[in-house]
Amino acid sequence: MRALIVEDDAVIAEFVARGLREAGFAVDVAGDGETGFQRARQQTYDVAIVDLMLPKRDGLAVIDQMRRHSIDTPVLILSARRSVDDRVKGLQAGGDDYLTKPFAFAELLARVQALVRRATRAPEPTTLTVGDLTLDLLSRRVMRGDTALDLQPREFTLLEYLMRNAGRVVSKTMIVSRVWEYSFDPQTNIVDVLVSRLREKIDRPFEKRLLHTVRGVGYVLREDP
Amino acid sequence: MSTGQRVPGRSLFPAFGLRLALWYAALFVGGSVLIVYMTYWLTAASLAQRDRDILQSTLGQYAAVYARGGLRALTDTVQAEQRAAPERLFVRIVDRGQEAIVLSQPEGWVFERLETASLRLTDGTLVQVGKSTAAREELLARFRAALGVVTLTVVIVALTGGFIVTRSAVGPIRRLTRAVARITSTGRIDERVALAGGGSGDAIDELTRLFNAMLDRIEGLVTAMRGALDNVSHDLRTPLTRLRGTAEMALVAEPDVDRYRDALADCVEESDRVLVMLNTLMDISEAESGAMRLRREPVSLGDVVSRAVDLYRDVAETKGIALTVHTGEDVVVAADGTRLEQVAANLIDNALKYTPAGGRVDVEVLGGGGRARLRVRDTGAGIRPEDLPHIWERLFRGDTSRTERGLGLGLSLVKAVVEAHGGTVEVESEPGRGSAFTVSLPA
Repeated sequence: MRALIVEDDAVIAEFVARGLREAGFAVDVAGDGETGFQRARQQTYDVAIVDLMLPKRDGLAVIDQMRRHSIDTPVLILSARRSVDDRVKGLQAGGDDYLTKPFAFAELLARVQALVRRATRAPEPTTLTVGDLTLDLLSRRVMRGDTALDLQPREFTLLEYLMRNAGRVVSKTMIVSRVWEYSFDPQTNIVDVLVSRLREKIDRPFEKRLLHTVRGVGYVLREDP
Repeated sequence: MSTGQRVPGRSLFPAFGLRLALWYAALFVGGSVLIVYMTYWLTAASLAQRDRDILQSTLGQYAAVYARGGLRALTDTVQAEQRAAPERLFVRIVDRGQEAIVLSQPEGWVFERLETASLRLTDGTLVQVGKSTAAREELLARFRAALGVVTLTVVIVALTGGFIVTRSAVGPIRRLTRAVARITSTGRIDERVALAGGGSGDAIDELTRLFNAMLDRIEGLVTAMRGALDNVSHDLRTPLTRLRGTAEMALVAEPDVDRYRDALADCVEESDRVLVMLNTLMDISEAESGAMRLRREPVSLGDVVSRAVDLYRDVAETKGIALTVHTGEDVVVAADGTRLEQVAANLIDNALKYTPAGGRVDVEVLGGGGRARLRVRDTGAGIRPEDLPHIWERLFRGDTSRTERGLGLGLSLVKAVVEAHGGTVEVESEPGRGSAFTVSLPA
């Protein structure tokens, strides 16, 4: 998997690049729009992450030009602007997703992987498995070893989301928008409550813990070695 | 803004004023001259006509006399008339042999200054009468002199009038321009333009009023923006200080991986809080200043409330609070659905936060009376009477709530968003028994 980062802020470009490399991507970084576009022409990328405010050529122009040259690499737009209009403008220019700064790297990674998945059209699995925990998407049954677990609909949605992102940290914001389809931050920690209810059911009665809290970042479902 | 900037009012307006005055004077003088000329022309024409009428009637009379008594009688009549008539006429009778038979020409008369008429009688004799135009000329000369004075007066009046009209028309515009120029160059938006003539309601007054209204609006927005900036910078200082402090403490402490991890996690959480706070403060400022873009469409208040309640069901259950929702009949409001959900969510969040285990939170949607109402009632700690006026202030948190986490921005956001929708929010509270928040929106 090859990713192109077009971002003029060196610190942001560096941490995104490092994170993506750790997630198994080969990463190229371009510091301005012009270089970014040249890179995209010379090399085929599976995904591009493009900042909107760039020197020489702004992000929207870069995306527009890529599309004109029939480069259909999926693009995740990064922007410091959070208004709905800016988001719409970015998507109209040919962007595939939009992420507002500041962002959690976990969220950026999840979106990048979703874009790559969408582009490669990997067949949808019908069963998700993490360790001895299985979730059947068709029958909506959840098993841990031989024990059937009885989950509320929202707990099921959360678990499905965590299992699809097994091994990756998901942030609270991502969970709120996925499980409740809410775009703003409710102040009381509704996510903490839901996660602890889910943990009661899938982890508490069992020896090995699967659902871990990564303080300050979010939650991750993974089998510890 | 540079102080050396040219103020357009200085150079533009004299030219404009002069042009206006000249136009006014030119039109006024032109119109007056036309009227004077026509009066003169009509007078001259009617005087000439009168002379011609006299000559014609005299000719008719002579023809009758000639027909009755021949040349002899005519000559007598002419001579008799020349003696008796107050106004003497020139008379010449010429026979067929082109010889003047009778000639009566008053002394000193010049042939060129005569108005004449002639009639050929049945036997070919030509009778010619003439009347001196001297009297007429003199009358007209006096008339011309009088008209000259009138025209001069008109020109003076026109120029004076033009000047006055220009001053009264351009004056308010000039004042307006000066005010605009002053405001542009100094940035003082609290200036206003005085109404001309005590507000008589003409177009300039209307423009002045509109301009002042626009300034009011701009001043309101700018003040709100300045306030928002001050507030944001102030409100962000505390979390940023915590953020910095946490990092600094970790750096100066003995190296320890666990301590580092803790500090870093604290930093991430703190910066998330800064972000939420920044977003909420921006929302409040936008809503308060009227800059918030509301996507208004008909939404069911019941649906909005149900979704918000749904969000908190697990939290309520975990805390042991009975959360009920009663939406009754469907109440539809023209509102931004997402913003309204935020309002409902914040009120429910607030109620749950201050209600102890075993308590109740009841959410109700009511219609009727042209209003749509949303009421969130709790059996929580209540609000002390002295705190009641302050609960809408940003970052205000009553003493009892110190243990609860939160930004202290929820109710400010509720109030700002509801008021941006043209609604009101009220609170009733009894310490120890609970509070009830009622949002009322125009249905």
